[in-house]
Formats: sequence, C-alpha cells, structure tokens
Amino acid sequence: MMSSPLVSETLFRLGPLPISKAVAVTWLLMLALAGGSWLLTRRLGLRPSKGQVLLELLVATLDEQIRATMQVAPGRYRALFGTLFLFILAANWSGLVPGLEPPTANLETDAVLALIVLVASIGFGIASQGLRGYLRTFAEPSWVMIPLNIVEQLTRTFSLVVRLFGNIMSGVFVLGIALSLAGLLVPIPFMALDLLTGAIQAYIFSVLAMVFVGAAVEGPASPPSASKE
Amino acid sequence: MTLDWWTLGLQTINVVILVWLLSHFLFKPVAQIVAARQQEAGRLLDEAAATRTAAEAERQQAVEARQALAAEREAGLKAVEQEVASTREHLLAEVQREIEQQRAQAEAAQAAQRSSARLQAEEQAGALALDIAAHLLARLPDNLRVTAFLDGLVEGLEQLAPAARQSLVDDRQALILRAPRALAEDELQRCRAALRGALGDELRLTPEVEPALIAGLELEGSSVVVRNSFRADLARLQRELSRHDHADA
Repeated sequence: MMSSPLVSETLFRLGPLPISKAVAVTWLLMLALAGGSWLLTRRLGLRPSKGQVLLELLVATLDEQIRATMQVAPGRYRALFGTLFLFILAANWSGLVPGLEPPTANLETDAVLALIVLVASIGFGIASQGLRGYLRTFAEPSWVMIPLNIVEQLTRTFSLVVRLFGNIMSGVFVLGIALSLAGLLVPIPFMALDLLTGAIQAYIFSVLAMVFVGAAVEGPASPPSASKE
Repeated sequence: MTLDWWTLGLQTINVVILVWLLSHFLFKPVAQIVAARQQEAGRLLDEAAATRTAAEAERQQAVEARQALAAEREAGLKAVEQEVASTREHLLAEVQREIEQQRAQAEAAQAAQRSSARLQAEEQAGALALDIAAHLLARLPDNLRVTAFLDGLVEGLEQLAPAARQSLVDDRQALILRAPRALAEDELQRCRAALRGALGDELRLTPEVEPALIAGLELEGSSVVVRNSFRADLARLQRELSRHDHADA
C-alpha cells in the first residue's frame, strides 16, 4: 500500500455505489464480529463455558470501565462503546491479514467513528439534561465561553479522527516499507508493534469517547454520581 | 484531501448496523445472562440465608429441648435420690425395729429359758432335798416323824391371827389331820389332846395319810391350813432361795 492514504480507492461498484476497500473490509469485519457473537452467545447458560466466561469477562470489564469513566450505570452505553472498541480493535488488527487494509487507516472510517461519538454525546446529553440544559452547558462558566466550547466540540472530534488515522496509517506505512525493504522476518517486530498500537488506539478511542459522552451527560458543574441501571 | 462521501455514508450505515448487531447478538445476551446469574445467586443466597435462619432456629430449639431434658433428668435424678434415701431410711428403721424386736424376743426367750432352767433346777433341788430328807428320816424312829412335830403344830395354831383361829374353832367338828403315815390310836389321842387345848372340846379329827409330808403334821379347816411338816419347810426354803436368786439377778 504505497498509494496516498488520503485517497479512498474504489474496489468495485454496486450499481451507482462505489464500494471502497475500507467498506468491503468493514463488511467482512461486521460479518466476523456479528457471526462470532451469534455463535458464542447461542448457548449461554447459568453454568458458563470457557467461551462464555471470556465474553462475560469482556462485558464486565467494559461495564466497569464505563462506570469508572462516566460515573453512570453502563446499560445504555454498553452497546455503543463496546462496538466502538471491538470494531476499532478488529479493524486495526485486520491489517495483519495478508491482502487486507485496516479500515481505520482510511480517513472516512475514522471520521465516521468520530462523528458518531459527536452525535452520541449530543444525543445522550440532550436525553440526560434536556435540550436547554444541554445547550446551557456551552455557556459554562460564562456565555463568553460559548464560541470556545463549540470549537472544543469540533476540535476534540477532529483530534479523535487524526489520532486514530495517524497512528494506524503510519503503522501500515511502516510495515509496508519494512516488507518492501527487508523481506520475511524483519517485519515481525513491526507487526507485533502494530498489534500493541492497534489495541492501545482502540482503548484510547473508546475511553475518550466515554469521556466526551460522560461530560455531555453529567454536565460540567454537576458532581459525579452513580445512577441505577 | 477530499472525502469520499459515499464511503463516509456507507461506513456510517455500517457502524450503526454493527452497533445494533453486536447489541443484539453479544452485549444484550451476555448482560442478560450475567443479570440472571446474579439474580439466581441472590435467590440462592436468600434461600441459604433462610435455610441458615431456619437451621439456627432449629438449633436453638434443639438447645432449649436439650436444656429442658437435662433439667428434667436432673429433677428426676433428684427425685429418685430422695426416694432412695427415704426408702433406705425407712428400710433401715424397719430393719432396726426388726432387730430390736428379735433381740427383745431372744432376750425374753433367753430369760424364759433361764427361768425355766432355774425352776427346773429348783424343782430338782427340792426333789433331791426331799429324797435326802426322806432317806435321813427313814433312819429315825417312826414316832418321831409325827409326834415330834405336834408341839410345833400347836405353836402354829397359837400364832394364828384371831380370825383364822376362830375359823378353825368354827370348823372343829370337821378338821382334817394329815400325817406322812397312818397314825396309831395313841398317837391320834395325843394329837387330839394337844389340839383340844388350843381349839377347845368337841374336837373331831379326820386323819389322812400323805407321804409327801415326809415328816410332820398339817391341820386343815374349811379355809385355813396350819402346816408343820418337812414339805412345808422345804417349800418355804425353796421360796426363800427363789426370792434370793431373783434379788441377785
């Protein structure tokens, strides 16, 4: 992958729709994640199997992270943040499969993820505080801060895009360069580094999304409290 | 840099669909089963707490029942001990009374036996004395066995109380004169003459023989008997000896 990372290559077309590589890989990942989830959750029981224990550990850890970061019950937010984490992790690690490019190395995919976080923070903020209450948070601590708060909303969304895109795209580039220069064994450390970077970026993106949504839900001046699920 | 809006739109749809898919196939089922397990665990804990409470109550009841049984046993033992002590005292008293009774009976029997033996010995001694006296008197002349006692008989009459002497005087027509052998006529005349001086005239004597007198004479009225014989003397001696023996005992 030595073409420009800022250009989305069309893989094929479905009628008038141009299907890019990122979309195609995303479909594969969706299929794998949804299919795997269906397979693993078909036979859940009160006496858990090893696979069920792992799933419950994943969900429990996610709930604990949401509870610790947002100071709220995790029920309403579990699906969003869990999906963001699993999708970004799977997307980041998909670059290690020969022939696939990580969708998160594509600017549109990262932009979509960041926009979803932005929309979720607005939606959960309004649902939690009401429209006036949510809009009033932009005037905290003073109405003078309204422009700055609006800019903050946009810049932090932009920072989510740039952080994820830059880290994953650079990893893909480094791995491509190493492969083209050194052959078989030299890229292995870079691939391991990509695994670590991919996991860390998935975690960072998810936690930052929790922080942004949590700030919108709680409001800037309200003390942290744990509500019932 | 230009954004591919088709890709942007498709990826938006993809992510939204993926959120729904994972929510439906992963997060909800797992969260539900975790909640169900927590609920089941809570139910089991509640049941265990209820069971523990019931067990505690049963244990308390068992402890109380055991204490009641122990108290009842203690009371029973105490009652039995009291009954045993009472029975023992009663038995001891009965045994003591029985012993005292048997000892008294034994002492009475022993005293009776001793008295009987003494009486028998006295009788034997009396009989022996009579035999000895009879053998000794057999060496004396026969007239001495009668006439020698006539003066003593007259003295006995004189020493009688006036009422007793008057009773003999009243019976002077039917007096019995006992002697150890048949009296000769002269001996009878001497007796009549001696007694006439003490009892007056019109004296009528009926002689009777009684060898048990050994020696001596006895005059018998309807209510008075005057004795001057060895048998009477030996009887008196025997009474004296008996009285001395009783006094010594």
